[in-house]
This record gives sequence, C-alpha cells and structure tokens, in this order.
Amino acid sequence: MNKEQLPEFLEAALKRVTQAPPADAAAVERVLKRLAGPLPRQKMPLWRLPGVLLDWQFAPAWPRVAALACCAALGFVIGIAGVDRRFDGGGSPFAVASRTDIGSIVFEPEALTGARP
Amino acid sequence: MDDSDEALMARIARGDERAFRTLASRHLAVMLGLARRILGNAADAEDVAQEAMLRVWTHAPRWQPLALFRTWLTRVVVNLCLDRKRRAPWVALEAAGEIVDPALGASEKTERDERERLVAAAIAELPARQRAAIVLTYGDGMSNAQVAEILDTSVSAVETLLVRGKQNLRRALDSVIDEDG
Repeated sequence: MNKEQLPEFLEAALKRVTQAPPADAAAVERVLKRLAGPLPRQKMPLWRLPGVLLDWQFAPAWPRVAALACCAALGFVIGIAGVDRRFDGGGSPFAVASRTDIGSIVFEPEALTGARP
Repeated sequence: MDDSDEALMARIARGDERAFRTLASRHLAVMLGLARRILGNAADAEDVAQEAMLRVWTHAPRWQPLALFRTWLTRVVVNLCLDRKRRAPWVALEAAGEIVDPALGASEKTERDERERLVAAAIAELPARQRAAIVLTYGDGMSNAQVAEILDTSVSAVETLLVRGKQNLRRALDSVIDEDG
C-alpha cells in the first residue's frame, strides 16, 4: 500500500474497525440483572411542584377541628373567668394589701431626710 | 398500547418500572456496543451502560422529548464514556466481529487484518472526543449534525475532530506505509 492508497484504505478500515460488535447476550443479561434490584429515587422536576401542591389534600378532618375548637373555647373561658386562681391567692390585689410586711414597703422613711409619709 | 420509546419514557416518568425494563432491554445491547467501542473495555462498558440506564430512570420525570430518545441516550452514554479518564486498552479486533470478504485470498486477508489491527491500535491512542466522533460517524453511520448534538458541540467542531482524528491516524500509519514501500 502506498501513500495514495492510504485515504481510501483508512475510510474502509475505519468503517470495519469501528462497526458495532455483535450483541453480547451475556453482557446484556448481566447489566439487566444489575438493574433488576431496587431502583433509585427519581428526580422530580421543579415545574411539577405546583401540581404536587395542588394535588395535596387540604380538606380538614372535621372531628379534629371540632376538638381543637372545644379546647380553644375552654381556654378562652378559663382565661376570662379566672377560675384557675383563688380569690385570695398570690396574684389577688386583696392578698397583697393584707400582707403584714406591706407597711415596710409603703411607709418606709426616705433615705436622705428620714421623713415619714 | 403505544410502546414507542417516548411513550415508555412517559410511563417511566410516572414510576412504571416495567416500562423501564422494557426500554432498557430494547436499547441495552446497542449502548453496550457503543460504550465498548469508545472505551475499548468490556467491563467499563457494562458499568457505563448500567449507569446510563439508571440515569434514564432517575431523569425520566425531567426528560423533555425535544430530541429522539435514542439520540439523548447515546449522548448520555458518550458523555459517561468521556468522563472516564482512565484509558482502557482497545478491544481486540477479533472480538469486534469479522466480516469475511470472500474475494480475498488467505495472504491478502492476513495482511489486511494486520493493517486493520494497526488502525484499531491507532484509534485507541486518539483523544477521547476524536475517538468518539470517529466511532459515531464511521461505526454508527451518524451525520455530523447528529454527532454534534450528541457531543454537545457544533457541526464544524465535529468536522475538526474528524479531520484531526484522521490526521493522527495517518501519522500513526505512516511508518507502516514506508515499510511497505
């Protein structure tokens, strides 16, 4: 083969050398077997997200809503009526006024002059 | 039921594993062959084919039928092959399948086989993208536009890859020509 024949030879050789080898059934089987296991999670496109959200079931479960409303109403009543506090308990204004040491707070002499109110 | 590639991809996008296995068994042999021709290594080719098929599964919900599925899959396989930095030895010519030319005599056939073995060895030494362009063009008979789409480049860049690839091959074969006279 001389230089003039090279391009022609190369074209033919490239077609022969790079042509697809016959399908290797064993190799195909091996890869298919590897793919038979659990498949990985699919990647969800972002443009599908609104659809997913629209498909979401937002309908409330009415028994739970009713239970929540009852708890809220009970809390409101307790908060307003104050049934959780004793009449003369710690937070009551009457209890504060009747304490024995209240005089030391209210009638304490001034620090500089010693004057009493 | 429509069992075209695109229809199967739509089903795979909805999580249909059966459609995936149908599509995989349909294209696996061809993709294995392509990977093997680019990588020159059967074991690596199997890994690449498996990875490509898993990408079909994971990317199916995002896949848009802008091009033929086959073109897209070929692109995935070629890119995975190019990603493999390790250069595996080229597949032996005997394993690539022999087309016997009855017009040739025994000595001519032996001589031609030897030359083609040299061509195969020279292809193995080419840079990966040049090798991929040559395999897709000569092996799969793709047009430059198709190869450009797969390699994600322009047609002129593919032409350049082919020209440079063939220049490298000619250079590699020059010594043989001189020896032959």
